[in-house]
Amino acid sequence: MSTEFSAETELRSAVERLPANSLKPLRQSALTGFLKTGFPGVKQEDWRYTNLQAAVTLSQRWLSADRGSIKKLPDSAASVLQQLQEQIEADWIVVASGQAFLDGSTISDADISVRLLSTDPQAAEQINTADPLSSFNAALMTDGLVIRIASNSVIKRPVAILLFDDSDTAAALSNARIVIDAGVNSSCQLLEIHRSHGAAEQFSNTVSQVNLQAGSTVALTRIQDREAHHLHTGRVAARIGADASFNITSIDIGGALIRNDVAIDLAEAGADVTMNGLYLASDNQHIDNHTRVDHRVGPSTSSEEYRGLLNGNARCVFNGKAVVHIGADGSDAQQSNHNLLMSDKAEIDTKPELEIYADEVKCSHGATVGQLDPVSLFYLRSRGLDKDQATRILTSAFATKIIEESPVAAAHDYLQQRSKACLERIIAGDSK
Amino acid sequence: MLKIRNLHASIKGTEILKGLSLEVNAGEVHAIMGPNGSGKSTLAQVIAGHVDYEVTSGSVTYQGKDLLDLAPEMRAREGIFLGFQYPVEIPGVNNTYLLKAALNAKRKHLGLPEVDAYEFMKLIREKMKLMEMDPSFLKRGVNEGFSGGEKKRNEILQMALLEPTLAVLDETDSGLDIDALKVVANGVNTLRSPERGIILVTHYQRLLDYIEPDHVHVLSGGRIIRSGDKSLAHDLEERGYDWLSEAVSA
Repeated sequence: MSTEFSAETELRSAVERLPANSLKPLRQSALTGFLKTGFPGVKQEDWRYTNLQAAVTLSQRWLSADRGSIKKLPDSAASVLQQLQEQIEADWIVVASGQAFLDGSTISDADISVRLLSTDPQAAEQINTADPLSSFNAALMTDGLVIRIASNSVIKRPVAILLFDDSDTAAALSNARIVIDAGVNSSCQLLEIHRSHGAAEQFSNTVSQVNLQAGSTVALTRIQDREAHHLHTGRVAARIGADASFNITSIDIGGALIRNDVAIDLAEAGADVTMNGLYLASDNQHIDNHTRVDHRVGPSTSSEEYRGLLNGNARCVFNGKAVVHIGADGSDAQQSNHNLLMSDKAEIDTKPELEIYADEVKCSHGATVGQLDPVSLFYLRSRGLDKDQATRILTSAFATKIIEESPVAAAHDYLQQRSKACLERIIAGDSK
Repeated sequence: MLKIRNLHASIKGTEILKGLSLEVNAGEVHAIMGPNGSGKSTLAQVIAGHVDYEVTSGSVTYQGKDLLDLAPEMRAREGIFLGFQYPVEIPGVNNTYLLKAALNAKRKHLGLPEVDAYEFMKLIREKMKLMEMDPSFLKRGVNEGFSGGEKKRNEILQMALLEPTLAVLDETDSGLDIDALKVVANGVNTLRSPERGIILVTHYQRLLDYIEPDHVHVLSGGRIIRSGDKSLAHDLEERGYDWLSEAVSA
């Protein structure tokens, strides 16, 4: 059973009101698909720990209020962009309220093509609507962002996408769609920076789909750093071709209710993926990370490490599924999930799932849940560091590994700085 | 400098130290020997302030202060150093960072200005030379991937840097080959001075060939059953611990 959605009429008319571009038929069919299922509900196995009711209610109210799309880049987005540009060496594009603003793009590399989805029929044809949230996203997308990397090109400067939502004056609902296509033997680094602003409630539902053609290498590092009362669902779906290699690193340090889905299709021989993640949660935050990797042919490799640090009443979920299909012989799937609980009220539900239908497969998984190692704490204190300082050092060392392993080196300092600030808040919460 | 009177300490309800008394004066090197399980490591941990050990009775005073009242970090800043039997690996925490933070925590406590990066590097390079350590190790995580010998050298390096007033070295000789043992002993001997006290906790007499103790104590069943000079260590080497335990229980 799904979460009750009672704004069908409002949704239909909101879809009607969107700009009349070539995406119209696509939106209509996504709408039909969505209305068949509605939002996922807690009775579905994949959603049993995460109740989307607050996001559904917000969406209904937003749709009933008959809000239109924005025409220009809000000042709040421009100022966040400016700060980020000073901190990270990259080329930038902004997606505000789910809408791509190409006029502000700083991309000049001739090997990168940046377009709106409405002007790229080939990309529009491949829009992923495989799950209810992707359908909802496709039904309500104003326009999408398409980034194509030319075959055989090596892109040196990371391409950074700021996904920004403003609910300063009124509630906000946004559905950003990003399509990335990496050409044969190309390589690139991408950043998704999720930020938000505004006292009113907001729900952002983003979908990024990545296609890695044969021999390509793509790193996508994503930091969800939204304000503490905002809701977010985000999906990254990637199809990985022959001998192509994908690194997806997901860092969650913000938001109230967060659900991330990473869906990886190792479609051809030699396909490889690394899925790493870090979630730092406190107070009443809820962060759910679901990943799924399909080894369709062999040999193909996947490795995954998620780390979480929880304090206060935080509730986190990790579910990592690896499916090794018939014939995907010689596949290798490694997975681990490590959690530090700083409070006895925090809760983590961690579940590895392996389904293996092939031979000669190497699979491993491991999950740990614990407190800061008391021996390490004592060691540092015996060297003169006080308990707070020792705690800060150990928690930051725990988190650092995931950031340092992100191939997007240009963002390391920024990511370290944001996660350190977040850890400071989380640890301070401990002494309250 | 250190006065331990009738100390009783337990861990998880099991009493390990059962009335231990010991006095260490400035300038002295004391060796604490004894069979496995006699309470040697417990004594070292209690002096450093490990929270898992509960002192049920007795007293420990250090430079006239009640040591048991101080948090582990305060003991360190007041000049107590514990060289761990099993130094902890802390991946993600850089050695330089820890060494500098430890030194500055102590200096701040003593009202001295913190050392800057330049002064620190100069100081640490000098100490590393003494310990025959490669400078590249500074960039590594604390004890991360170190061999047993490297970990022990790192402990003595920390000690050399922090220049403690009272150093307690817990089985620093275990797991060392003869060359590493000499380096470690040299590090300790360099620190020997009329202002410092050193307690060597060891199972074997071997270390004492390189660091000559002023006093040797034999710990058994949670208390000191015999004290003497360095010749006691030689007797133990020849006759084992049993003759002493038997002599005591007889």
